[in-house]
Amino acid sequence: MSTARADKRLYRWIDERYGVSPLIEFLRHKEVPLGAHPLFWYFLGGTTLFFFAVQIVSGVLLLVYYQPGENTSYESIRYITTKVPFGWLVRSVHCWSAHLMIVSLVVHMLSTMMLKAYRPPRELTWLTGFLLFNLALGFGFSGYLLPWNELAFFATAVGTDSVKSVPVVGNWLLQVMRGGPDVTINTVYRFFALHICILPILTVGLITVHLIFIQRQGMAPPIAKHVAPRGMRFFPNFALRDLLWWILCLAALLVLALLLPYGPGIPGVEWELGQKADPLAPAYPGIKPEWYFLWIYQLLKEFPPHLFGLEGPQVCLAVVSLLMTTWALVPWLDRKARRDEPSPAFTDFGVGAMLFITFLMLKAWDIGAGAVADGGFPDPAAVARPCAWILLAVAVAVTAVRIAVYRDRWFVFSGAAVLHAVLHGLVGLPYLAAGAIAAAAAALATGFTVARGRTSAMPAGGGH
Amino acid sequence: MSHHASPARLSRRSVLNVLLSVGVLGWLASVLYPVIRYLTPLPLVGPGGPVQLTRSEVTKIERDKFAIVPVGRRRVLVLEDSEGELRALDAKCTHEGCTVKYMPRDSLIVCACHNGRFDLQGRVVAGPPPKPLATYAVQRDEEGVIKVTV
Repeated sequence: MSTARADKRLYRWIDERYGVSPLIEFLRHKEVPLGAHPLFWYFLGGTTLFFFAVQIVSGVLLLVYYQPGENTSYESIRYITTKVPFGWLVRSVHCWSAHLMIVSLVVHMLSTMMLKAYRPPRELTWLTGFLLFNLALGFGFSGYLLPWNELAFFATAVGTDSVKSVPVVGNWLLQVMRGGPDVTINTVYRFFALHICILPILTVGLITVHLIFIQRQGMAPPIAKHVAPRGMRFFPNFALRDLLWWILCLAALLVLALLLPYGPGIPGVEWELGQKADPLAPAYPGIKPEWYFLWIYQLLKEFPPHLFGLEGPQVCLAVVSLLMTTWALVPWLDRKARRDEPSPAFTDFGVGAMLFITFLMLKAWDIGAGAVADGGFPDPAAVARPCAWILLAVAVAVTAVRIAVYRDRWFVFSGAAVLHAVLHGLVGLPYLAAGAIAAAAAALATGFTVARGRTSAMPAGGGH
Repeated sequence: MSHHASPARLSRRSVLNVLLSVGVLGWLASVLYPVIRYLTPLPLVGPGGPVQLTRSEVTKIERDKFAIVPVGRRRVLVLEDSEGELRALDAKCTHEGCTVKYMPRDSLIVCACHNGRFDLQGRVVAGPPPKPLATYAVQRDEEGVIKVTV
């Protein structure tokens, strides 16, 4: 009996019992829209999924040796990295793929923003993606504590302390997260349960929903293209390209894990084990959270002790919550995209948000601070100035590309982000005062643009 | 016929819906309440009266001019200022909860996490902390034994 005949008989045997023919037929006709964008943008969701799969495999391998406990958390990680054959590699792969997963998730979300793939009927796909992004941050935050080293201790102390600003239930939530009033080994037990059980269950469930939405609705076609779209067959044409890309990602991951087993040494992107956590040791200068939390860390520094009758951290948390909620609600706020029309204002909103975050990250890295005395802190003005220049250069480059390649003409939000950086870094205004002026200028400019009428405000060129 | 029957049916359905909703809410509460109580940590108890510092903690104060010691459920910063006077303050920064340290050279208490600075009375001098550090009673007897009361 030939292999082909055996395959057919096996297929028929399965089909008779489970009726898989309609599913195969559905997959056979599945297509990826072609024409308006480079195909690359359609790979990013799969890339994130790939890194998540690597996280699960490497995480399970770490579980074989890791033991949470006062005298075992730090020691077991040290045992893994120094004694277990290839233990250092497994941990390195786990850490690198965590960072690469967040990078690919951020780029995936930004590409969805720029291509307006969130518009109806795909609002819930965006929303589930946004929730997945938050779960990924939760993975990063909870996993960070598990080695129970100094850096983990203070990062968790700061990160969880923000929770107390939540109205009404803040203090109770803080106690539940920490397993007591302070970060102790009880916090490790709780974060361990969260990291290896609760978050994976939620994430797998939400990924399933996200993928079902995408399968039911297909990938988003380019906006305002009412011509019959061209398509590439998903199976096998796109799937094989996807597979090839995953192989390249795996190769890149392994090269990074082999060459830089403890990260590139940039604050926020390093995982040297360092000293064991000691709750009675003071925090050391230069302590930083992971890079994707740096902007919140820096924003917390920028708020004064009190503002509008509230404590600074409370107002800061409210601002961050407002920004995140706005981001989650973009499919409902972007009324032009809802009508399948180009919405350059929201493209610029995405660019502006990235410039805003980039400036905070540069400041958090103390770029340009130079050497500081032992135990001292860099001069904030000396840090803000070079950061503003760098942001200005980045903004000019991005704007030039937007004008030349995408023919964008809407720069209110990105302009406000640059104005903010210039007023703070180069003119010397306090961060919040500069931000208030930039926000007022953006509001005025938006009002003026709206008043001039949609036709003149949205030129035909701003087509994405 | 149905015109007369529908209000009675609707009314019976409404009552059943209310009962069902109350039942579901009651069931949810009976499941969630024990879970919430289970997750809420028990209050920590520690010595409330004066706590005597260990020999190594006293040595640390002599060497570094400060030590962070556990007193009950608190971390307390015990420092010796430039005039040799002992002071005890809460070691938890009021901004985001990092552990502070004493800088004898500047006579300041600083938090490295967000650059908060306090004077030796615990008052905020610079940076984002919204409240002063709590101060506690500290005593040193003739034999050099140090006791802190929170």
